[in-house]
Amino acid sequence: MRFDRRYIFLAIAVAVAVPMLFPIGLPVAVTDETRQVYDRIENLAPGDVVMFSFDHEASSLPEVRPLAEAVLTHCFRRGVKVIGLALFAEGAAVGYDILKDVGEREDKTYGEDYLYLGYRPQYSAAILGMGESIAEVFPADYDQTPYEELPLGQRVKSYADIELVVSVADGSLPTYWVEYAQARYGQRIVAALTAVMVTAYNPYLEAGQLDGILGGLKGAAEYEKLLGQPAAGTRGMDAQSLAHLTIAILIILGNIIAFARWRRGKSGKEGDA
Amino acid sequence: MSEIGVWITALTTLAIYSFLYRDNPFYKAAEYLLIGLTVGYSLVISVKTVLWPGLVLPLVGGDLAKIIPLVLGGLMIIRLVPKLTVWSRIPLAVIVGAGAGVSIPAMLKARILQQMGATVGHVASLNGIIMLVGVIATVMYFYFSREQKGILQPVAKIGTWYMMIFFGATFGYTVMSRVSLLIGRMEFLLGDWLHLLGG
Repeated sequence: MRFDRRYIFLAIAVAVAVPMLFPIGLPVAVTDETRQVYDRIENLAPGDVVMFSFDHEASSLPEVRPLAEAVLTHCFRRGVKVIGLALFAEGAAVGYDILKDVGEREDKTYGEDYLYLGYRPQYSAAILGMGESIAEVFPADYDQTPYEELPLGQRVKSYADIELVVSVADGSLPTYWVEYAQARYGQRIVAALTAVMVTAYNPYLEAGQLDGILGGLKGAAEYEKLLGQPAAGTRGMDAQSLAHLTIAILIILGNIIAFARWRRGKSGKEGDA
Repeated sequence: MSEIGVWITALTTLAIYSFLYRDNPFYKAAEYLLIGLTVGYSLVISVKTVLWPGLVLPLVGGDLAKIIPLVLGGLMIIRLVPKLTVWSRIPLAVIVGAGAGVSIPAMLKARILQQMGATVGHVASLNGIIMLVGVIATVMYFYFSREQKGILQPVAKIGTWYMMIFFGATFGYTVMSRVSLLIGRMEFLLGDWLHLLGG
């Protein structure tokens, strides 16, 4: 007998929808990795500059937007200046949208407290180039205002003036930040990643090539807890936990059924002999 | 987002998810729409933020150095004419040569030397020992110059266990990631579209 896998899709949909309609409020435990990123931002001085690189596609927004918003909010509350850019074309408008939203919500002034440079292709060349001169790589911001006419642009010439880079990514871009900005210019880097990428970047964290990793919606929920401001990450945690529980139960059931079939097949063969 | 925008987003989301039931024309239409929009969007962004301010405006302003990337780019497009394909090898050679020159030393330092340093640099701790054993055992699993017999066999077996743990952890994170995407869509459908969520 074949089990129709559409029942599994339905079970997952129910497991996600029900806790959204009727929130349970399951607790969120903060991991050391998230606290490490939080402390890194907390220890920045007002006036320090953090570069946010939106290195992702639009399809991963449900995961990366809560991450970016949480860290950006923290930066603005600490009085840290932010320079945004995108190394994926798809991330260009998304990054602008996120930065503008959080900047306006935190009552920050464009050009003085934050600015957005837009998109550059050839990420390795762009990352390397900014080590020498940001104005050479981005002569103008996203709205085509010359970089050096913006107050923040006049202050920040290269990585030497940037305390930290946060790569908000759903792919391999943080690796290039490590290779070209960290290894070559000693630039400190934090990766805010989709959960699927976390295991790939743990070796860089262990080796000290990354200052921290924030992973997925769970990472955003933990960061929101540390900030004391529940938002999209926290809202999704009940659904995430229940969906994981459903999947774990399905995996156990699937293995029990597979084991029972294997036993039945084995005893059938012994009977034939 | 405007009301009509919310409706378009909701209907295309449902069209994509309808594939879970079975393949159908609504799914196909939404899929083609996504591909077309992605290509169109990337093209517009590239022209607006790269080609126009970085190539066209400087050329018009008299920056003759920009003729070099213009010619190289043109030679790349010439690929589309079968008889002239050979000319596209020039920009390809520039890209490969420059790319290799830039990336090889950087990769060697960041992915091999720094990683090796970190692997042997923490052997004073239990975590460091576990990591070192894992690296050696996994590398031994991929050592194909000798048959995996004798001492190589148990070491490679340990490497297999390490990899299984890695695959398990990666699968767990993948599930988490995909569920997060579903949560994002569900939050939109139940909240922004149907207004069923409080707050």
